Amino acid sequence: MASTDALFQPLTIRRCTIRNRVMSTSHAPSYGKDGMPQLRYQLYHEEKAKGGIGLTSVGGSSSVAPDSPAALWNQLDIGEDKVIPFLQEFSERVHRHGAKIFCQITHMGRRTRWDAENWMATIAPSPLREPSHRSFPKEMEDWDIRRVQQDYAAAARRLKEGGFDGVEVLADSHLPGQFWSPHVNRRTDGYGGSTENRSRFTLELFEQVRKAIGDDMVFGIRMSGDELLDDGITPEEAIKLARIHVGQGCIDYLNINCSHVYTERGLANLIPNMSMPVAPYLALASLIKREIGTVPVFHAGRIPDVNTAARAVAEGHVDMVAMTRAHIADPHIVNKLREGRVDDIRQCVGAGYCIDRIYVGGDAICIQNPATGREATLPHIVPKGQGGKKVVVIGGGPAGMEAARVSAERGHQVVLFEKAGALGGQITLAGKADWREGLNGITRWLQGQLRKLGVDVRLATLATVEAVEAEDPDIVVVATGGHPNLNEVKAQPGHVVSTWDILNGTVAPGENVLLFDDHADHHGPSVASFLVKRGSKVEIVTPERKLMVEVGMTNFPHYLRDLYKSKAVITPDTRLTEVYPEGNKLVAVLVNEYTDEEEERVVDQVVVEHGTLPDDEIYFRLKPLSRNLGEVDMRRLRDRLPQEIVRHPDGRFMLFRVGDAVACRNIHAALYDSLRLCLTF
Amino acid sequence: MGSGGVVLLILLGALGWALIGVLGRIAGWRAGRPAKVDWLAGLLALPRRYLVNVHEVVARDRYASTMHVMAAGGLVLALLLVVLVHGFGIASPWLAWPLLLACVLTLLGAERVLRRRADRPPRLSGGRWNRFGWAIGGFALGLAWFTLPATGVMADPGLLHPVSLAFAALLAWSAFELADGLAHGPMRHALAGALNLVTHPRAPRFSADRPVAAIHPIDLDAPRLGVETPQDFAWNRLVMADACVACGRCEEQCPAFAAGQPLDPKFVIRAISMAQGADHVDDRHYAGRRWPGLERRVGEGGAARPLVADGGLIPPAALWACTTCRACVEACPMMIEHVDAIIDLRRFQTLELGAVPGKAPAALAELAAADNIHGRAAARRMDAFVDLDLPLLREVESTDLLLWLGDGAFDPRGQRAMRAFVQVARHAGLELAVLGEEELDTGDLARRLGDEAQFQRLAEANIATLARYRFRRIVTTDPHVLNSLRNDYPAMGGHYEVVHHTAVLLELAEEGRLKFQPGEGQAALTYHDPCYLGRWNGEFEAPRRLLDLLGPGRVEMARHGRTARCCGGGGGAPLTDIPGPRRIPDMRMADAKATRAGTVVVACPNCAVMLDGVTGDYPAVTEVAELVLARLAVPAERVAA
Ligand SMILES: Cc1cc2nc3c(=O)[nH]c(=O)nc-3n(C[C@H](O)[C@H](O)[C@H](O)COP(=O)(O)O)c2cc1C
Ligand code: SF4
Ligand code: SF4
Ligand code: SF4
Repeated sequence: MASTDALFQPLTIRRCTIRNRVMSTSHAPSYGKDGMPQLRYQLYHEEKAKGGIGLTSVGGSSSVAPDSPAALWNQLDIGEDKVIPFLQEFSERVHRHGAKIFCQITHMGRRTRWDAENWMATIAPSPLREPSHRSFPKEMEDWDIRRVQQDYAAAARRLKEGGFDGVEVLADSHLPGQFWSPHVNRRTDGYGGSTENRSRFTLELFEQVRKAIGDDMVFGIRMSGDELLDDGITPEEAIKLARIHVGQGCIDYLNINCSHVYTERGLANLIPNMSMPVAPYLALASLIKREIGTVPVFHAGRIPDVNTAARAVAEGHVDMVAMTRAHIADPHIVNKLREGRVDDIRQCVGAGYCIDRIYVGGDAICIQNPATGREATLPHIVPKGQGGKKVVVIGGGPAGMEAARVSAERGHQVVLFEKAGALGGQITLAGKADWREGLNGITRWLQGQLRKLGVDVRLATLATVEAVEAEDPDIVVVATGGHPNLNEVKAQPGHVVSTWDILNGTVAPGENVLLFDDHADHHGPSVASFLVKRGSKVEIVTPERKLMVEVGMTNFPHYLRDLYKSKAVITPDTRLTEVYPEGNKLVAVLVNEYTDEEEERVVDQVVVEHGTLPDDEIYFRLKPLSRNLGEVDMRRLRDRLPQEIVRHPDGRFMLFRVGDAVACRNIHAALYDSLRLCLTF
Repeated sequence: MGSGGVVLLILLGALGWALIGVLGRIAGWRAGRPAKVDWLAGLLALPRRYLVNVHEVVARDRYASTMHVMAAGGLVLALLLVVLVHGFGIASPWLAWPLLLACVLTLLGAERVLRRRADRPPRLSGGRWNRFGWAIGGFALGLAWFTLPATGVMADPGLLHPVSLAFAALLAWSAFELADGLAHGPMRHALAGALNLVTHPRAPRFSADRPVAAIHPIDLDAPRLGVETPQDFAWNRLVMADACVACGRCEEQCPAFAAGQPLDPKFVIRAISMAQGADHVDDRHYAGRRWPGLERRVGEGGAARPLVADGGLIPPAALWACTTCRACVEACPMMIEHVDAIIDLRRFQTLELGAVPGKAPAALAELAAADNIHGRAAARRMDAFVDLDLPLLREVESTDLLLWLGDGAFDPRGQRAMRAFVQVARHAGLELAVLGEEELDTGDLARRLGDEAQFQRLAEANIATLARYRFRRIVTTDPHVLNSLRNDYPAMGGHYEVVHHTAVLLELAEEGRLKFQPGEGQAALTYHDPCYLGRWNGEFEAPRRLLDLLGPGRVEMARHGRTARCCGGGGGAPLTDIPGPRRIPDMRMADAKATRAGTVVVACPNCAVMLDGVTGDYPAVTEVAELVLARLAVPAERVAA
């Protein structure tokens, strides 16, 4: 216990006393609605407050002006007074549980799209194209500078009126940072050139913000301590900038980041995924704290566990330690720590699904915690129910483990059959792809919970109809997952292998390998990287316009780096139609998606990724014995109501399918299927 | 000479012998330190103390109680009548028959004594106690024989009749055995026991209302602090030790003894008794069970020799294994105060020798430096509560209810319970204020570890702080704090109304200010009495009534209430950490498990830490306030922090 004590010392900044050293940094979960923090947004943060967090900083990249559109990631629009009542409700909700609430405000400058929301040209200190949003900004005029500064100050005032404890200006890669970074600022007037000139915009800005909020409210900035660019902000420059601005006396804390987000590669570094070590930039934050010394330093960056967090504070590297994604995975970290239940903390695995989702698909949800962002309808702590039923779960992958966990939490007696010798299902498989090993954390937590809940887990046991009937269950949940689908490529058995075969080691990597990825998710590229690291020469072929369109920004840059480094060939817009043998080689027939032109490759091995087909044999055998004949009332499922369909009154149990046993999807879908269904048991 | 004369002669001889012995014993008692004794009040209270307080304890063992009524009642009656019949020679059948009956009663009592001896439970001592039944029986039989002529059923056969000679011999032996025992054997309990009831240093424990279990303060300027030798005890405490009947009821209740730690409360008392009667003794003839784990040990001592020493009668480990749970005191039919003795002995070890074992010296050093045993800065006490915005008494100056945080505020387990209490109390509309960094450790632990100097220093400081503010009551989640403020502070000049949070929660619930979820269908729970709330402060009912308001399904452990087993966390025992083959908290959790309840409810931060620390397949440990919070009709998470 003693070692995590450091986290439980309150920190006082101005009049704001934060109850402990654990925080969530501002992020844009894409939960805003019409630019307002409405119920979903508020409940998402209230949950962290309930869970014991000291400070939750909300409203990542909240907009202050019309030409910094909030609509892009459903951010908050703090640019109009109509947000104030929402802010008041929001801050009350968080304060009720003893946590403090800050909000980040920003003008994104060129880091946005001109075709979003208001269709206004983006602006920047200099008219340099921003790669990530492909925007060509307008060079800011004197009145642009003036109005934007006023917009910031007005937004800060709204936060004060909204009862917020603090306001944070996001500098790095956004407009203030665009002024600071020589990489972006090429101005020759008083706002460009020397560090002092590049600081002019922000010095004026910070003074106006402080004036708008008065002396009580906390005001801090988030800045990059190292942009990792040759012509960007170096640590020396960052220290200089920090000194100048802290010296001004308007700001109260520094929230230190590393990298930049001008490009997707930069962003992948800024938000480190599971391929990167824990706390990769702590030393940078520590350096700035040592150099500046007079204001508290906050820091986020893959600090997933309480021990690392405690060390960061105890050793004096930082004053507030952010566990941002860690709280997306488990908003109750602090309470669990306080209660001595560290084992119960669902630790962020760094899959980056949350952040990737805001670029691919919509809203930030956690790969392993389906309740996050759905607090209005799904609980983070499964309430105990009436219990008393016998639930049989078939399959110990994510869907099955979650079904067993939730059923047991509801108070039922649960038996789980797993045919393999260990739990995990496809997570275990995916985790074999080198740095994807971190995914196993999902299994570890679920397995630990099953143990605590006393679920009867029967490994290496095939669930037969007789075995299921012998348990005399009230409910049977089939979570048998699936098997690779190799049917869509014309080939003799054995001439194409699956990504599973490669990861499982049932087939040794060939020398020249053609990998056909018709899934566009992690599977193809992770197996391709697996192959190249084992010496294969790989060509990865996809009918898509580019590789892994379903993989987001914190992950795909890592795959591409691996593939390009090993000289893998990437062939988009192309479909594999047939494979046939020729001598001891294989011929792969490729067809261009747009011209129908055919070409052939002679290779040693063809690997196909085309998702899975359900393992549904046991389901169909049990179906006639069940009361509902397997039927699901979709509306009631959506509305989290108990399933009541009876098609066969003599049936002895209700029967449901979850996860990939229904259709090929992903870990989150599997868990979500089970959580919302089993909560009604 | 008539046979009646023989009886007279024997009895007079025995009386003389007894007198010599008793005078010697009295001389021994007088060597103790002076004590203020209210003789008149004590004498007046004697019948009540004997018939009510002693009887209440004795009666817990039905067999022993009947045995005692017959043997002792018969004997006392017989002795009274003997004076008339044989002393004054009044040979009336109106006196002789009752005397005969008294002898028969005694005889029956003696038979019960002997029957129990035949299959002696190990808690009972052997040795001279084994002869005791024979002596009483022989005495009654001999007396009966010589009383028969006076009843008129037979003529006096004369002293020289062989049967008379045999009975005379029996009477002589038994009378002298009993007389000698008045100073040196089992009969001493009658004399010292009665005297102990008159001169008892804790008169309040006999009152009908709650016990006041204060520890007596000592004068820190005295030439010797605490007790080293028997003669350092106040004389009435020497009398007290002599009252011991070696029944072993204390031993049977002692958690440390049960855990196999080298502590036996009976041996502690017997050692004091043994040592005070001689210049030099050793315990080779001690007839009870030996110190657990030190069965072969031989200890030496004497009236002016150290009691606690490596080769002394009491091994140092015995002193430091005690959790001060008072189970022994509660069980003792002779109203003996083992814990007082242990504290007195600890005081000498701590203050004069600095011989505190384990992690206790470090804790006391932290206490000296930081005013709390965790060595934290005073301001840190509020760390876990900043978000509750508890008003500081320094700012508000007066409050109805002052929440004393205690050192549980530094511990995550304690914090959780306290936060739950604050949440529930506020939910019910109660206003609380705290001292914040002005609050110091109460000194309770220091006092129990024998560091009276620190206790007095801290008590004075806290009393001075409290004097600056107005409040009606002090509430705390920690029974040790409660006991300290309520019972130990008055002697230091601090008089407060102190309540446990369970009592406050009960008030709120009974006033209808807390609404609970329907209690049906909740898993069974069992309540663990904290020693310092239960035995030390007599509060057994309030927490139980509170729990019963939450729903049905409360079950009791075999040992509960007055006989509850300690969690092992009191008296600094976790710090002195005397090893033993078993752990007290493990045994307590086994008690809880045996009830098949899913949850064991605790009402003390120390109990929570001790019992929560037991790993394995045991019931869950929940603190009362946490449970109340969880069972509120409003979901706990909605109850604002
Ligand atoms: C969904 C998502 C959106 C984010 N949006 C922002 C943002 O708008 N502004 C910002 O400063 N940081 C943003 N971040 C970065 C986080 O604040 C944080 O720096 C990052 O997640 C690394 O910390 P962690 O490892 O503790 O999660 C975002 C992160 C996530 C996961
Ligand atoms: S999706 Fe992954 S990275 Fe994001 S919070 Fe969940 S576990 Fe962490
Ligand atoms: S107070 Fe408790 S631990 Fe100490 S001797 Fe008595 S019964 Fe044993
Ligand atoms: S101290 Fe009391 S309980 Fe213990 S043996 Fe003596 S008389 Fe019995």
